[in-house]
Amino acid sequence: MVRACHDLGVRAVAVYSDVDRDALHVRAADAAFPIGRAAPHESYLNAARIIEVAKRAGCDAIHPGYGFLSENADFAQAVADAGLVFVGPPAAVQRALGEKTAARRLAREAKVPVAEGTEPLRDLSEARQAAKRIGYPVLLKPAGGGGGKGMRTVRREEDLDASWRGATGEATAAFGRPALYLERAVDRPRHVEMQILADGSGNVVWLGERDCSVQRRHQKLIEETPAPNVDDALRAKLGAAAVRIATAAGYRNAGTVEFLVDTQGAFYFLEVNTRLQVEHPVTEMVTGLDLVALQLRMAGGEPLPFAQADIERRGSAIECRITAEDPHAAFAPHSGVVSFVREPAGPGIRVDSALFAGLTIPSEYDSLLAKVIAFGRDRDEALARMRRALDEMRVAGVPTSLPFHRFALRQPAFTKGRYDTSFVGECWERREPLHLEAGALSAVALGAVLATRSRAERRPLPIADPPWARIGREDALR
Amino acid sequence: MRYDVTIDDRHLRVELALDGRFLIDDRVAAADVRETVHGWQWSIRLDGESHEVTLVTHDPMRLDVDGRDVRATVVDERALRASRGSAATRVGRVEVRAPMPGLLKAIHVKEGDTVDRDAPILTLEAMKMENELLAPVRGRVAKLSHSAGTKVEGGAVLAVITQDEAR
Repeated sequence: MVRACHDLGVRAVAVYSDVDRDALHVRAADAAFPIGRAAPHESYLNAARIIEVAKRAGCDAIHPGYGFLSENADFAQAVADAGLVFVGPPAAVQRALGEKTAARRLAREAKVPVAEGTEPLRDLSEARQAAKRIGYPVLLKPAGGGGGKGMRTVRREEDLDASWRGATGEATAAFGRPALYLERAVDRPRHVEMQILADGSGNVVWLGERDCSVQRRHQKLIEETPAPNVDDALRAKLGAAAVRIATAAGYRNAGTVEFLVDTQGAFYFLEVNTRLQVEHPVTEMVTGLDLVALQLRMAGGEPLPFAQADIERRGSAIECRITAEDPHAAFAPHSGVVSFVREPAGPGIRVDSALFAGLTIPSEYDSLLAKVIAFGRDRDEALARMRRALDEMRVAGVPTSLPFHRFALRQPAFTKGRYDTSFVGECWERREPLHLEAGALSAVALGAVLATRSRAERRPLPIADPPWARIGREDALR
Repeated sequence: MRYDVTIDDRHLRVELALDGRFLIDDRVAAADVRETVHGWQWSIRLDGESHEVTLVTHDPMRLDVDGRDVRATVVDERALRASRGSAATRVGRVEVRAPMPGLLKAIHVKEGDTVDRDAPILTLEAMKMENELLAPVRGRVAKLSHSAGTKVEGGAVLAVITQDEAR
């Protein structure tokens, strides 16, 4: 956000919670103001405080980012009521699309396929009847919000009771509303989403799709565009469907229409994310557009500077979300201190990152640390660059998802583009151990000893000219 | 100093000799090591190959070598000796010590007797209470250090039992 502002010659003001004083966004911005304690409801979810800071700092507009209040219609309304510009769709649009069963109705009316499902359910017995009618497996989903939070796959009737209780609790925690609805579960679905832009003058365009099927706990780990199994015909259909939904909703600004694509290439509307997505950089790489800059321009009342026919997509792009999670322990999130970081660079690589040596990862927020994005003329080149970038990257001090990403980018299921949302469960959790060749094995064994000594002795190892360095330089060794 | 190192499922023995040389599985390694980030990263040239080793986490120990992630354990010879030592004690000679200072009131066994585990062997009177001291293992009473009626210090060895079978 700060980079886009600066590219446009706009000053950027950041807000931060107590634990984020050292964060990179604070340092990147032209001004920064504290908004409260670490707990989200005391800072990043404190709408009144954020608006007060914006007014005091002389801001014209608020960009809500892609977490916290970014899909909160009340916040969008409060920003507008305070005489500020909300960078995103207006509150009424967010409300219409935020209630998931209403969004499904809207999609159906716009002649977009929707998986068979229900309105919000009154109780468990209604859920049981509906599930029987639709046929197991079914998805139990919160009506109050999307993003995979509180969502349960129910395979058998006897599991419905427990899932109902679990999902109700999670829906209440995530969205403040316990309402649930049921939807038919698509078999081996691929998660494909379409980026749209809509200015205030009735121009709505689609920029292309992203495949986001590599997920754990319904949260994305890898995204790419173009999607490996979406051809030009399907792309045009998804684009047209997304534009119909956006037009019907009176959409404004940037948004994403999510679909599930089944093994036969049939697609079903899932939901609309009324904000910028984490994975927006892959679309930027292939279109050459800056989506945040376009968001700011559209929010300022400018019409889109191009029409659908002007949008060119070139090459292929992929993003890996590097998170503070231990892939060897079921992706359990970790807090802690980052002791050392090296981010990748070189041809076709972009890194959007919050990492620095000394960063204390707060336990209060999402585990996303950095996004590594690779671009190539085609998918093979993008994947080769991504593999190289991941091998180059180092994060020390806390476990990260890097080992998973390095593994995934070498799996035939992934490189051949034949993967779906079951990838993490089927490939990663059944992986074979790595094979190290003799040299790397000796080196890492030596490294393990040095790491142990360094920790045990808590004193610096001599760096200037240790005897082992001298010995290594000697050519003749018995 | 010698170390037993496990990298994933592979075992290696690494020796740091006093003259600064490395031996890996008893082979002298032509290693040129630079610590590039103190305590966290080493650049290691081995027979001309260039490797970079980064400590990712201490506990459990995970390392990165050239962009590959491995789990490692390191046991040094001191720790090995210590664990062998305590194992030997556990299997061979087991001492029965006074848990607190007191009066050795009675001895229920003779040297050479075979005792079962948890059999009472001594009575120690301390803080106006009689405490039965039990045999920690099954075995033969090899030594009784004091006679009944003696005052003993806390921690004093009162009896030694040799274990006659592996547990």
